[in-house]
Amino acid sequence: MTDGQGFLQRHYHLLRRLHSLAGVVPIGAFMIIHLTTNSSVVWGALNGRAHIAESAAGRGIETFQHEVHFINNLPLLLLTEIGVLWLPIAFHAILGVAFALTGSNNVSRYGYQGNKRYALQRLTGYIGFLFIVYHVATLRWGWSFLTPAGTTWSHYYAASTLAAALKGAAGQWSVAGVIVSIGYFIGVSALVFHFANGLWTAAITWGLTISQAAQRRWGYVCSCVGAVLMLAGWSALAGFLFVADYDEAVQIEERMVEQMYGHEYLLELKEKFADRPEIGRSAVRQAATRPYPGPAPLIEE
Amino acid sequence: MGNGANSGGRTRNVVFRIKRCDGPGKPSRWEAFRVPVEPNANVISCLNWIAAHPVTMDGRPTTPVVWDSNCLEEVCGACTMVINGRVRQSCSCLIDEYAPNDGDTITLEPMSKFPVVRDLWVDRQRLFEGLKKVKAWAPIDGTYSLGDGPRESPAQQHVRYALSTCMSCGCCLEACPQYLKEEDASKWDTAFVGAAIISQARLFNEHPTGAILKDDRLDALLGVGGINDCGNAQNCVRVCPKDIPLTESIAAIGRAATIHGFKRFFRGA
Ligand code: SF4
Ligand code: SF4
Ligand code: FES
Repeated sequence: MTDGQGFLQRHYHLLRRLHSLAGVVPIGAFMIIHLTTNSSVVWGALNGRAHIAESAAGRGIETFQHEVHFINNLPLLLLTEIGVLWLPIAFHAILGVAFALTGSNNVSRYGYQGNKRYALQRLTGYIGFLFIVYHVATLRWGWSFLTPAGTTWSHYYAASTLAAALKGAAGQWSVAGVIVSIGYFIGVSALVFHFANGLWTAAITWGLTISQAAQRRWGYVCSCVGAVLMLAGWSALAGFLFVADYDEAVQIEERMVEQMYGHEYLLELKEKFADRPEIGRSAVRQAATRPYPGPAPLIEE
Repeated sequence: MGNGANSGGRTRNVVFRIKRCDGPGKPSRWEAFRVPVEPNANVISCLNWIAAHPVTMDGRPTTPVVWDSNCLEEVCGACTMVINGRVRQSCSCLIDEYAPNDGDTITLEPMSKFPVVRDLWVDRQRLFEGLKKVKAWAPIDGTYSLGDGPRESPAQQHVRYALSTCMSCGCCLEACPQYLKEEDASKWDTAFVGAAIISQARLFNEHPTGAILKDDRLDALLGVGGINDCGNAQNCVRVCPKDIPLTESIAAIGRAATIHGFKRFFRGA
């Protein structure tokens, strides 16, 4: 106990500054990349190089899927993830909670904007961390029992499994899906606020912005960064919730795998993911398993 | 005077709800007093009236309410208390602004971040310990005359003058969400020093003679309870009665701490 406190006392400044730094780099920087990638499901509709998909929405899916393949083909991915994401996030979160506990809340008495942001920064930290744990546990560590339809994430089927993990089986809305989707909306919004506001306070902490005018100017910059990221996050979410079509996504994803790794590999993959629980309700799958209804009736002119 | 509420020179009655406490560790209670106020009365003059007529609104005799004050012109900071939920000096708090109508209520509480001595009087010793911790002075004592001090540019004077008007009133600490009450004096060393102390450290770091102790001040501020404990809520600057640019001081000390920290890291302790 005394040893731990001695350690804290001796390295307090370093720990606090590492905490501040970690929030910007790598965590904040990663969030920018992550939201940019995910929002490509929407702005990818403008991607002229997408050629597998036939519709605008499909081009979005293709662009997103393309980015996901790129990321998943990075060398030493797991090591990078642990070193650049999981450890810094755990560090930032644990210290953040410890620091937040040293404060108090007096917004009801001193309802200044800055004070509200101070309180929100702590609240969004808590919300954001819970959200990140859920997000990573379900879509990375495979805790599929926490998703609405027991969906297991597969990066080969990124767009479709994501839609299913948000909404429910085969990308059809379910009650659990609505709850998860609202949770995502809150979680993403909280994290974007936390980052933008943290960027603003970090400049004071490190002494980059000193005068009130400088702090105000930097505040405008941070607000813009926040607004753009918020838009990226929301559009990504809207893309997966309202635009992407599940069956179209599966087809595009499979065609892309075929093109990249060949037909053999696709068959292997389909075998492996054949009984993904969430695919059962897919319209295509259902149509395929229904008994042959017989020849179409002749239409008399 | 020109105040419409006082037209006709009629005195009006204002109710004072006061949070009272008989001494350290004693429970606190609320008492209300009806006070006839003259035009331009302030909270202190009303407290004077209550001291002379210590009878509560329901006619119960009680002890006079105790408070602290000194200059009566908002330069000493002694009379700081929480008025209608917000911290400020009571000597400059005019009743005509706070309770313009007959029967209006004004609520008085002692500051919540300092140990209560009695009623509205608190012990701000921790603030002075903080000033000692960061050596908020220019060291000129010695066995021989040091001669004239170094010259300061007008620009420097301009910055430092604003900081020098701090009267250690404690408003910035009372409103700060990171500054918590700590009765145990042995823990003051690691509890947050607050904006006033950080600003005073800057005042003397930028003093040509005081700068000799700059490293000591920054060493003290890099530890637990120092500059890094600030959460940037910026309430301090909003409540400071002297309009001291506290958040600029915090950022300036933040910058100095960044440089000092790097130096310490690479040079060794
Ligand atoms: S900085 Fe302002 S609020 Fe704080 S103690 Fe000094 S005068 Fe009072
Ligand atoms: S800016 Fe820092 S010192 Fe000022 S009120 Fe906020 S936490 Fe307290
Ligand atoms: S008595 Fe000195 S500030 Fe009020």
